[in-house]
Amino acid sequence: MIDSNMTYDILKELFNISVGKAAEMLSDIVDQKIVLNVPNVEIINVSKDSIKMKDYLPENISGALMVSSISFKESFTGTANLIFPADKMKTFIRLCMHEEEDNYEDMDFNDIDFDIIKEIGNIILNCIMGETGNSLSINFNYSLPEVKVFNQTDFCGNLQKNEFVNILILYITFIIGNTEIEGAIIVDLTLNSLKELLEKVGQIEDTFYD
Amino acid sequence: MLKILIVDHSLFSQKVTSNLLKKFLEPIDIYYATDGEEGFEKYKEINPDYVFLDLLMPKISGLNLIPMIKEYDTNAKIFVVSADVQKTVREEVESYHILSFVNKPFTEEKAQAVCSVIKENFDD
Repeated sequence: MIDSNMTYDILKELFNISVGKAAEMLSDIVDQKIVLNVPNVEIINVSKDSIKMKDYLPENISGALMVSSISFKESFTGTANLIFPADKMKTFIRLCMHEEEDNYEDMDFNDIDFDIIKEIGNIILNCIMGETGNSLSINFNYSLPEVKVFNQTDFCGNLQKNEFVNILILYITFIIGNTEIEGAIIVDLTLNSLKELLEKVGQIEDTFYD
Repeated sequence: MLKILIVDHSLFSQKVTSNLLKKFLEPIDIYYATDGEEGFEKYKEINPDYVFLDLLMPKISGLNLIPMIKEYDTNAKIFVVSADVQKTVREEVESYHILSFVNKPFTEEKAQAVCSVIKENFDD
């Protein structure tokens, strides 16, 4: 017996638990409290619905986005993205390196900056996907992490040019403690993965009625 | 002097790992490689006492590198430091009889535990 509200609720809660663990990791790295908002789950028909990026990002984020991502394919296909406003990234890097003050006059990013953001994304997104996968007994086969700077429209287009009709989007926003750095995590999964994922969640739901 | 090889695609993670190892294990010589292929070449060249491997790397992944190193040196002492938290991956890696699987971020607490294992192992 599968109740779709219950299925989404279970999925949202599993995502919430995984994000909670990832937030603990991020908190260890930057030595700041991470304040999480409520996670959401949505299924989008990309041929009919337009993706409005502002729905998935904190209100105060505008301008370019720094997106650190890991993709997975084969049995489960999709991408997990850790998103920050590009103009706050120098401050974020300073926190990661445990440096005292912002003294960056040059706002251009160098290879070391990209490497740090890519690796932090790798750690956080592996935790979220891996923990969710562990709860549902599914494996993800990851490709190498990537980092890119997007404007919001291009990032939306990137999600929307997906070859599948329906995509599942899991998303959450957060803020890093005493800083003004807000971020978002967006995971998209394609139709084939989506069907299998919902079946796995349904198996958990079935145990409620045994 | 203790020789340690760190194989990690991220220069940031290489730096974090080496700084924490130096904190608890002076004096040590640390060598670096940024992918599995370079890691295997460096291993043969340096013959390190301990090797710290990431899993997700270009050319040769950590998962493929471990059996290569074990075949070359059955006594190789390997720590895996990876962001991958999947149980199936951990089980597969641990089947190669590595010293320990540590999840990133590599923190002071984790480094201390790893260095205690190294000190005990090295004193024996």
